[in-house]
Amino acid sequence: MGDSTTASRPGKGTVFVRSEICKGCSFCVDFCPTDCLSFSTEFNPKGYHFPVLSAPEACTGCDLCGLYCPDFAIYGERWKDIDERKAKGRPQPVPEPAAPAPVKPAWGTLVPTDPRGVLTGLHFMDGDHATCEGAIAAGCRFAAGYPITPSTEVVERFAARIPVVGGLFIQMEDELASSIAVQGAAWGGKKTLSVTSGPGFSLMMEHIGLAAVTETPGVWVNVQRGGPSTGLPTLPGQADMMQAKWGSHGDYEIIALVPNSPQECFDLMIKAFNLSEVYRCPVMFMMDEVVGHMVERVEIPPAERIQVVPRRLTTKPKGEYLPFATTSEDLVPEMTVAGAGHRIHVTGLTHDERGYPAMNAAAQDKMVTRLVRKIRDHADALVDVREHYLDDAEIVVVSYGITSRIAKSAVDDARARGLRVGHLRLRIVWPFPAARIRALCQHAKAFLVPELNMGQVVLEIERVVAGQAKVIGIPHAGGSVHEPDAILKKIIEATQ
Amino acid sequence: MTTPNTAENLFRDIDTVNPVMPYLRQDRIPHIWCPGCGIGTTVNCFTRALTESGMDLDQIVVVSGIGCTGRVAGYLNLDSFHTTHGRAIPFATGLKLANPKLKVVVYSGDGDLAAIGGNHLVHAARRNMDLMVICVNNFTYGMTGGQVAPTTPLGARLSTMPYGNYDPPFNLPFLADACGAAYVARWTVFHVRQLAKSMLEGLRKKGFVFIEALSPCPTLYLRRNKRGEGVDELKYYKQNSIIKHGADTKEVGLTFDGKIVVGKFIDRERPTWLNAMNEHLTQQLGGKYTPYGG
Repeated sequence: MGDSTTASRPGKGTVFVRSEICKGCSFCVDFCPTDCLSFSTEFNPKGYHFPVLSAPEACTGCDLCGLYCPDFAIYGERWKDIDERKAKGRPQPVPEPAAPAPVKPAWGTLVPTDPRGVLTGLHFMDGDHATCEGAIAAGCRFAAGYPITPSTEVVERFAARIPVVGGLFIQMEDELASSIAVQGAAWGGKKTLSVTSGPGFSLMMEHIGLAAVTETPGVWVNVQRGGPSTGLPTLPGQADMMQAKWGSHGDYEIIALVPNSPQECFDLMIKAFNLSEVYRCPVMFMMDEVVGHMVERVEIPPAERIQVVPRRLTTKPKGEYLPFATTSEDLVPEMTVAGAGHRIHVTGLTHDERGYPAMNAAAQDKMVTRLVRKIRDHADALVDVREHYLDDAEIVVVSYGITSRIAKSAVDDARARGLRVGHLRLRIVWPFPAARIRALCQHAKAFLVPELNMGQVVLEIERVVAGQAKVIGIPHAGGSVHEPDAILKKIIEATQ
Repeated sequence: MTTPNTAENLFRDIDTVNPVMPYLRQDRIPHIWCPGCGIGTTVNCFTRALTESGMDLDQIVVVSGIGCTGRVAGYLNLDSFHTTHGRAIPFATGLKLANPKLKVVVYSGDGDLAAIGGNHLVHAARRNMDLMVICVNNFTYGMTGGQVAPTTPLGARLSTMPYGNYDPPFNLPFLADACGAAYVARWTVFHVRQLAKSMLEGLRKKGFVFIEALSPCPTLYLRRNKRGEGVDELKYYKQNSIIKHGADTKEVGLTFDGKIVVGKFIDRERPTWLNAMNEHLTQQLGGKYTPYGG
């Protein structure tokens, strides 16, 4: 078949068969309009009979066989077209223009943010609104959300503000949709924000896994309320801290920041976006209802003082870019956007450096190891804590979010009573600042851990302290915050 | 014939230009679809539509969900995203809105789009989001072993309907039409030229395009229902299809062994979500607003 000598041209056209990949479905044989095909008596390597041109004089080269073939194993062509094609020669690949010199700053380099939308000045606003301003100031130009108390104010403000900044908000039909719409937008080149609270956070878990495995940057806000289930929609909780780390199935790592004031909602939001670009992982912004709704002074600096990390887009020419390739020194791959000509494939399946599905243990080991190592190996660089009176502290109170403000007042009180108590406030909870906690074990005899849950971060401290000091949780089921006296009482007990 | 089945060998003697080849990631062929499955046939139609459209292939993106048809994204040599089960449409929505210059095509199966993803399908149609959805309907969940789908005709036997299906199916063109899709068509994989033409029209259409392609699942749906091989089902399509352009979509529901109404049912003009947003915000905000273009 396919012999182009005139002598062997009984029909107007012919067919070309790739017998190796034929699966013998018979579509071409049965639907050939001139009945010129039949099955071979031979088998192909897969054990199928494949089509042969048994009545070449009848073939018109109409390519209906090619259109039907579900295995891409046959196609037909008219001799006239074949001759024309051959006369022209094989199509020469159009040379790609030389790759433009990188115009983007080197990866990890901070540059001043886009001044559009930065509300420089002093404000009096709540944490939800400050979070929105932080996102816009960080360069976020796409948000998707679904209404849920107590987080909705973030997207309400975004919806009002973004049209004149030059971006877009869409309220999706649920959190499943909003949490993947942002990932589509990220691959379209945007910095993206998704906002929710407890029940919505549960729905988003599937897509946190997708973002982790496809290394899609983005910031995910959870304004925590009391749970489980619908729980306490209008009242605070901190019981999603473990969910933030472990909520989606499989092994992966994320980064989680916890602000404790509207000002920090603004400041840490910038940091959240930057970390998301540096590490290409989902970054969780774990607020709580009180921080979200408390109104305080927020100072927004001039745009030129807000430093952001641009996306690290590849400068490799078409055909040379492997979307998930990294080096041993650099565990985070370069990114691109859809439409750049790299013809990328991105899948939630275990994949290789090309992004192709790879269903085997070796590929799984390579991919998952890198996904966790790119965060775990940088845990020391990701420590963000605030410390008070820790130099000589025998008792260390560890807290985060709204609870840290109550804990701090209890610690101040205890210091006024002459007790050797210090306070460690976590601004990044995941990855956990294990080395810092271990160092504190040298002179601390007890760690107290108040949190608005029945004991979550305290478990991590127990793990890290490993019996070298007492670890005492101060649980609270949520719905309000701790009484300072309750923490003080535990501090006094611990000193005795 | 002992040639190793490597990609290199598979292409060793191909000095020819099968029109589908430039569109495939050739190092991933042969594909995973069963003998007699029609998904590959729809891919042929799609690639012919791409050729005919003359569009810049770098600006066309395919988004799939999970399932047999969800694997299409991985075989097409275009920017392609294989997302989570049911969520191809919202991913595509985000991508399209982030860069409206892209032509975003959602290519997935009936279970993915109409069951787990049904909510997204109806909302994207309601919004008239500028997406082309190709729904390959094989009446079952192939990847997981042939369970009942929201499209399974009454009476059909499937692994989770061992005594025959009593769960009423969707009439997908009616659903898409009722939700406001700008373009709705149905073909079978027997109707390759018509399907390719609808896909071409879909690529050129602004707004939400829904194309249903009925396709045989010989391994599960056909075998369990004693309907023969894939080619037998194509013959069934050939004998039982009635082409009726502009048919009332209420009337095009499918039965286990009845007639199949195919054709272009809906082709209407509605503002896309993005156009509506830009027009409305320009009206409301005046000079403060610059129409969003990505």
